[in-house]
Amino acid sequence: MSLLDVRNLTIALPPGAERAHAVEDVSFALEAGEILCIVGESGSGKSVSTGAIMSLLPPALRVVQGSIGFEGRDLLRLKPAEMRLLRGSRIGMIFQEPMTALNPLMRVGDQIGEVLKVHGARGSAGRVQELINAVQLPDPDRIARSYPHLLSGGQRQRVMIAMALALEPAVLIADEPTTALDVTTQMQILGLIKEIQSRRGMGVLFITHDFGVVAEIADRVAVMQHGRIVEAGAAAQVLNAPQHPYTRALIAAVPHRARALDAPPTGRPVLELVGVRKSYWRGGGLFSPRVKVPAVQDADLVLRKGETLGLVGESGSGKSTLARCVVNLVKPEEGAIRYHDTDLRRLMRRHWKPYRKRIQMVFQDPFASLNPRRRVGDIIAEGPMAHGMGRAAALRRADELLALVQLDAGAAGRFPHEFSGGQRQRIGIARALALEPELLIADEPVSALDVSVQAQILALLEDLRQRLGLTMLFITHDLRVAAQVCGRVAVMQRGVIVEQGRTAEVFAAPQHPYTRSLLESIPGRHWLPPVAQIPDQGAVD
Amino acid sequence: MNGVLGDFFGTFLRNRGAAVGLAVLALVGVAAATAGLLFPYSPWDMRGAPFMPPGEMEFLLGSDSLGRDVAAGIAYGARVSLLIGAVSTVVAVLLGITLGAVAGYAGGVVDDAIMRFTEFFQTVPSFMLAVVLVAIFSPSISSIVAAIAIVSWPPVARVIRAEFLSLRSREFVHAAEVLGRSRTAIVFRVILPNALSPIIVLASLMVASAILLESGLSFLGLGDPNLISWGFMIGAGRSVIRIAWWMSVFPGIAIFLTVLALNLVGEGLSDALNPRLARRR
Repeated sequence: MSLLDVRNLTIALPPGAERAHAVEDVSFALEAGEILCIVGESGSGKSVSTGAIMSLLPPALRVVQGSIGFEGRDLLRLKPAEMRLLRGSRIGMIFQEPMTALNPLMRVGDQIGEVLKVHGARGSAGRVQELINAVQLPDPDRIARSYPHLLSGGQRQRVMIAMALALEPAVLIADEPTTALDVTTQMQILGLIKEIQSRRGMGVLFITHDFGVVAEIADRVAVMQHGRIVEAGAAAQVLNAPQHPYTRALIAAVPHRARALDAPPTGRPVLELVGVRKSYWRGGGLFSPRVKVPAVQDADLVLRKGETLGLVGESGSGKSTLARCVVNLVKPEEGAIRYHDTDLRRLMRRHWKPYRKRIQMVFQDPFASLNPRRRVGDIIAEGPMAHGMGRAAALRRADELLALVQLDAGAAGRFPHEFSGGQRQRIGIARALALEPELLIADEPVSALDVSVQAQILALLEDLRQRLGLTMLFITHDLRVAAQVCGRVAVMQRGVIVEQGRTAEVFAAPQHPYTRSLLESIPGRHWLPPVAQIPDQGAVD
Repeated sequence: MNGVLGDFFGTFLRNRGAAVGLAVLALVGVAAATAGLLFPYSPWDMRGAPFMPPGEMEFLLGSDSLGRDVAAGIAYGARVSLLIGAVSTVVAVLLGITLGAVAGYAGGVVDDAIMRFTEFFQTVPSFMLAVVLVAIFSPSISSIVAAIAIVSWPPVARVIRAEFLSLRSREFVHAAEVLGRSRTAIVFRVILPNALSPIIVLASLMVASAILLESGLSFLGLGDPNLISWGFMIGAGRSVIRIAWWMSVFPGIAIFLTVLALNLVGEGLSDALNPRLARRR
């Protein structure tokens, strides 16, 4: 008998939702000692199915039919009090966002101890220490006494794992536990989960959207689309010989083709950064001195006509700050930002205006980067109108641009909230292109999107770059994306560019230890996705 | 836009309190607009014997110590109350938006200076300040409007500043900056429309408090001497409340209902403009 046996689970969405059921007729089984990955894009129902196991569904969702067998009982028929006894003790859970999953007013040691106390276990300090050791946190005494805000994201996620493991549950549910973490931290956390799992023989239900992570950790895989499991099987089978067209499309969308070594760019420099330096000041109350936090230190970069330079690094490495320096959203305190022959850093605000047409930016968050109160047509026409184009002409131009980014013309009259993430990012790109820029700065343009949408946006950007002869500064934390998109890359760590060079060379023979550790942390780096015959992508958006 | 507006009114009217408030407010508005038709004489005119209880000698709500019609006073008083409430709120909101927007967008020293200036007004009890201002500038409708506006703009400035602080670091504002829009355009065309919903709610409550302030001022005898107002009527009736309760009670009920209605409308607006609450319904 399986450890956890989900059968024909169907959960209804409230009336008026985009489909009738959040999950429909979902069946899967988790054996002791294995890791089952549930893979799917946002809205596929993967989190809802695990919510049902923990009976943590939002009140609007209702289980229509099905059973969840666990230790001889059906979890769906347990009373809330009985379920509470199981939660935490027999079934543990790790959440996606380590920053908000811990109580900020409680010491970490007490929070772990609380789990023990709630379930009446002998909550001795020794056991807490043991758990902190088990998740390989440094200096257990100090960590136990710390408040959550003193810990990094990775450390907090370790604390969460320690809490989930406190009562040695038989099943661990991990809902995208590494999505909010940097790659190197993600690798460590994945290693930790795998190690603990094999040591204790737990069954782990691991939810993710990332096939790289699947390749890294899974024994078996279930792929979900629109609330149904479309394919399930052993990891090697699903990853290397996917059967269902949706699985094939998802795997084909994983960025993997390292770019062929193009000829080194020889065009004249478009953008030259020399010794750019930017610091932030933190703190500075009445009685405490302000602390200088360097964000970018002595950054040197050259961007030649027609090339795409990738700026890669983890969160807090200063890559976004550097990009914002180029468009004057942030004022660097030293260095030169030369665009052709002008030092942009020295320009007054009114002298900047002509350069606004030449240098444009695509932003990270497609939900925050469009003004919610304006129609899409007006949003795209905003730039040309600010530079003196008449409204009618600007709106006509907006229609052309919508066609260019493959949105239908009716989009111009609608508001941003009526579009999906990928569509909004297309609108953001159209807005940037409305001024016919020469240099496009893309600040993590695909990191908020699902893989299949991500692949479409990357393809669109590449197509536009070639057609319009754009020069691009592409900022990303995902090395797989950088490998696919960029001719050259620059690696940033703590505000310093530690290595730069042609992508293929940097990836093949990294010089700096940090670059090496980044490359080793790419999830699923040993897995080469099968180059599938790409089915029609239209079905996925 | 029709769909959006329709949704908005739908959510607004589903709140029963808000619908009732709107109805009461409409009634007060109608009374103010038709005062001249219903009572085709000045509310200061003597129309009959003094101290007539409600219902006698054609006095619907009784007469006061000089034989004036209380009902006419209330209808004409509604004009004054609504006018002062609306005008002083508009002035205060404009003042508060300008200062709050500049403080929130500019930040740094400018922000500090404007916020200390705002706090200066908040340290003085607002009613006292209004009394002093009206007393200095001699009571007239314009000095009352000015005094009420001066004491009620600081909350608007603070709310707008807070909205601007959070909105100016949003990506769509950065995008407008990168597109090369001017500072004025960013402040008034990009950020301000997104910061207006809390101000609309606040404004409806400010109309209520302005009506209360005006009533307080005229109760103390600092109202415009040429215009009858609810506060003045209560003030005049207060010494004879034991023989003619209707002189103070009916204007009191008028103030109570109007202010309550405005508060209900404000709450309804707040629910309808808050997308998270609207979705939950």
